[in-house]
Amino acid sequence: MRIPDATDVDLSSTERRHIIRRTWQLLRPHRRGLVAIAVLVVLQAGGMVAGPALVRYGIDAGVRPRDLDALNRAGLLFVLAAVVAYGSGRLAIRAVARVGEAFLRELRERVFSHQLALSMEFFDRNRTGTLVARMTADIEALQELVGQGLTMFVVNSLLLTGAVVVMVGMSWQLALITLLVVPLVAKATSWFRRESNKAYLDLRESIGSNLSTIQEGLAGVRVVQAFNQEDAVVERFHGTNERLFSAHMRTERIAARYFPAIELAQGLSIALVLGLGGYLSAQGAVTVGTVAAYVLYLQNLFEPIQQLSQLFNQLQASAASLHKLYGLLDERVAVAERPGAVDLPARGRLEVADVSFAYGAGPPVLEGVSLVVEPGERVALVGPTGAGKSTLAKLMARSYDPTRGSVRYAGIDLRDATLSSLRRRIVVVPQEGFLFSGTIRANLLIGRPGATDADVAQAIDRLGLRVRFDAFPGGLDAEVRERGANFSAGERQLVSLVRAALADPGVIVLDEATSSLDPGTELVVERALERLMEGRTVVVIAHRLSTAARADRVAVVDGGRLAEHGTHADLMARGGAYARLFASWAAGVDRSEAPFDDGARPDA
Amino acid sequence: MMRRALRPSRRWIAVGILTALGWTAAKVSVPLLAQRAIDEGIDPYDGDSLLRWTLVIGAVTLVVAVFTAFRRYAAFAISLRAETDLRRQLFAHLQRLHFAYHDRAQTGELMSRANTDLRQIQLFLVFVPIAGANLVMILGVAGVLLSINATLALLALAPLPLLNLAATAFSRRMGPQSADLQRRLAGVSGVVEESLSGIRVVKGFGAEGLQDDKLRDAAADVEERALEIARLRAGFNPLMELLPTLGLVIVLWFGGREVLDGRLSVGELVAFNFYILQLIFPLRMTAFLVAQASRASASAARVHEVLATAPLITDRPGAGPIPDGPGEVRFEGVTFAYEPGATVLRELDLVVPAGESVALVGSTGAGKSTVARLIARFYDVDGGQVVLDGVDVRDIRLDDLRRAVGIVFEDTFLFSDTVRANIALADPGAPAEAVEEAARLAGAADFIEALPAGYDTVLGEQGFSLSGGQRQRVAIARAILADPRVLVLDDATSSVDPTKEHEIRDALEEVMAGRTTIVIAHRAATVALADRVVLLDGGRVAATGTHEELLASSPRYREVLAQGEQRTGVGTAP
Repeated sequence: MRIPDATDVDLSSTERRHIIRRTWQLLRPHRRGLVAIAVLVVLQAGGMVAGPALVRYGIDAGVRPRDLDALNRAGLLFVLAAVVAYGSGRLAIRAVARVGEAFLRELRERVFSHQLALSMEFFDRNRTGTLVARMTADIEALQELVGQGLTMFVVNSLLLTGAVVVMVGMSWQLALITLLVVPLVAKATSWFRRESNKAYLDLRESIGSNLSTIQEGLAGVRVVQAFNQEDAVVERFHGTNERLFSAHMRTERIAARYFPAIELAQGLSIALVLGLGGYLSAQGAVTVGTVAAYVLYLQNLFEPIQQLSQLFNQLQASAASLHKLYGLLDERVAVAERPGAVDLPARGRLEVADVSFAYGAGPPVLEGVSLVVEPGERVALVGPTGAGKSTLAKLMARSYDPTRGSVRYAGIDLRDATLSSLRRRIVVVPQEGFLFSGTIRANLLIGRPGATDADVAQAIDRLGLRVRFDAFPGGLDAEVRERGANFSAGERQLVSLVRAALADPGVIVLDEATSSLDPGTELVVERALERLMEGRTVVVIAHRLSTAARADRVAVVDGGRLAEHGTHADLMARGGAYARLFASWAAGVDRSEAPFDDGARPDA
Repeated sequence: MMRRALRPSRRWIAVGILTALGWTAAKVSVPLLAQRAIDEGIDPYDGDSLLRWTLVIGAVTLVVAVFTAFRRYAAFAISLRAETDLRRQLFAHLQRLHFAYHDRAQTGELMSRANTDLRQIQLFLVFVPIAGANLVMILGVAGVLLSINATLALLALAPLPLLNLAATAFSRRMGPQSADLQRRLAGVSGVVEESLSGIRVVKGFGAEGLQDDKLRDAAADVEERALEIARLRAGFNPLMELLPTLGLVIVLWFGGREVLDGRLSVGELVAFNFYILQLIFPLRMTAFLVAQASRASASAARVHEVLATAPLITDRPGAGPIPDGPGEVRFEGVTFAYEPGATVLRELDLVVPAGESVALVGSTGAGKSTVARLIARFYDVDGGQVVLDGVDVRDIRLDDLRRAVGIVFEDTFLFSDTVRANIALADPGAPAEAVEEAARLAGAADFIEALPAGYDTVLGEQGFSLSGGQRQRVAIARAILADPRVLVLDDATSSVDPTKEHEIRDALEEVMAGRTTIVIAHRAATVALADRVVLLDGGRVAATGTHEELLASSPRYREVLAQGEQRTGVGTAP
């Protein structure tokens, strides 16, 4: 199953029940907090509902019969109710925050560690952006709900219910008249919600396209100026900018109909209460105090009704977010450690035995591949783009499990090895060095957590990189910004190599770089890489024939099968696929050696 | 700036002011009408009078609703118009700012000015007319209440200014807190973002635990700040309820006594209640306006900063059209630095005779790209002059100059538009044959025809993505179509697969024939295309001659070329 994308999901009632059940499970440890919250919000809403009723009592029992004691009683109780509402409101907000924020923190931790535990196959199916959105946009939607909406939602619902009950109790006739307005408000509100949702979607899209036009205009400003296209680009921007304006105005036209309608309903209901209430009070059916209380209730009720309709949207969006998050948590961890897994030894032969593989339900990428790599041997995997050489390399490091057959190291099936030993013994060095924010030292220690400074120094020296590492501002404590943005591509690669050296693996799976570094660093990287590979088993995904030519052995992968393998000389002599690849390369380039598959990666 | 932005909306501003005043008057009259209904119709009962006042209230309510609609709509029409116009002005200005400005500016920074900052200004503007009407209403209500019963009015209104003060203090303290929460949320997404995009490394080394710890810290930071914010909110929100309620308590308790003493009618008592409730929203709104004003003025300053930057590269007074000519380029004693003190070109003398092709070779930082950029006058020289067909480029109208000089940058930029529109950038009306011919000459025709919709395939984020080499070929086609007098290829084939580069080389020879061409390249094969090679070193011409001559005579040339080869692939093998 693909994780549902950012588009809003309409939830079925089973799904809704599922969400509630899951949320309850996560909230169970906070039971006490929840009980406290329930008590506090009931107190708060009660205090707020009591106010107008006390005004009624003050007028009917105090003012009109000229009873000062009753008036004093009403005033005192009113103060009490206000203070209770205030105090419990204060405590309720804090209590909701305590439970809600803890819930969010736990959810963040849980979702994130689950994401990290999922297999590479999962990351192939889902775009990084979508997965990041789960942890950011979705949880932040919940954060907003917890921070502002939730208490208000509950209190407003209680307030509304309480007020209606009290109003009916005071006078069913007036309640009936007032409730005439309620369907009108409800209908207007549901119209507003529907229309403004549509308009809002349109608005969001306009904002997005306007932003990307600006971004493109800024990124391409040099080309625009070089080709004299400033006016044309500004004109095009004018188009999206005005579309954004229209989208905004459309939402405003809807609002300009809705909010006055609510105000009208409110005003009319007050006029009705006065008119009919006056008539009824002359009949002795209601008191003047009741009419006054009604006016106050009506003045107070319409805001919660409007807020509720907005909060309801927020609540729905949050439910959709939770749905997506729980869907992610339900994703099975495919590459996991078996019970009774064993540690891999330091050295051993790497054996691919009759391996087939397909990504998910897709077509087979590899079929019946067998290959043995002896300890200390260097094997180059070559073949056209899409032939399966990268997949083969990934299976050798257990980024995936084969669909059929097995990959063994020192005779142990990788699926029977502990994940920690697997990651120590077989290390993948990707095309580009990837750094995490933190320090250079922290980035190196990823290779072997707990390594001492002496270990780190030794690894740096072994690769001959002492000078380069000392040159970092602050040495090993140099600060690394997100994704290593403050280091050059070459420097990132150097750190990545030392990280691998620190892990001291038996096997290195190397994805040869296709893009170039600055000439000075390139040479340093080459030398360091050479030293890293010394004495280790190496499987290299070769993009250049010179790489292949220097390996101990070449394996040509084509169409998901092992087409041929042997030394460079053997294969050239044989005149097969490899020799043909070599020949076409030699014909295409006269002076410089070159990649023979289009190494350029598709750009964003 | 804001005054100018508001000018197009004069009519709506008039509508806004009128409806706001009408709204205020109608709104303030409702409780008074209710008082009359009670005092004259209910207590004592008078059916006709009650009916009359009830109908009047209904009618006034209708008026209020209509005014509310116009007032709100006018406020948004004005502020959104201003925001939209300012954004266009900002964008148009940015399009005309010089390269040097864009070299230093960060796209994200500029984006946030065009987006968040203008948004803040809009939010402020929208509340100005509304808050104005509210202020009038507050004064009107206060006046009415004082005239009914001054003592009660003073007592009942006493808690309300506190509402305003509390709201102002709250906004002021909340601003930095929520900004900090946003920062901490960004911290969380930073950890997530890097962990997921670096998932191969994380899993490759089993670093899940480390990243988990980072996230745990970031999530705890968020929780800490969010609880702080909740505490602030807990101090404020219930207070917003409490203060008006205290006003109501005073009205009931003290006002009740006044009624008992005959100094106040029951209707007036109810009207007092009514008014107190009516004031809550306007008071909160003015507090919001105060907070928003400071945010908006900070935003306006940031927007103004961009608009106040004058474009440095503009037509000089007296700049003329480009003279006819064969396209001879001359650098005469040109000195140039991007930043003071870091001179890139030192009194460079260089002549590219009309119709000839010259390859510029040099190590990184030797000034090759700078030469290319000075010809099209993306920057102005600090000393000396760049001369095109006998005229200083600064004396040629910029439009003409840029049309005469076609440049292909190393990092190609394609718009999210069709392949055709991208090639026909300089001449959107170019016939299909011209576009296809340009593509053929750039060695791009084959792969374009193989795209899902051929030349009409949409590229970009939501469209098709091309490889680096393919993008460069589209960019070359774009320059070819512009048919410039001087063609500059700044490392324009660096990402093209060398097995395919020879196809482009054949085509390029056709394009370069008889056209002044400057090629910046690393690959020897590309360099060899040019009639002559100029070796730049330290911002000066170090050697010049044909490729073979320089290979034979200049050790520095061999060295630089070897580095170039290194870059494109020799010996990067284990």
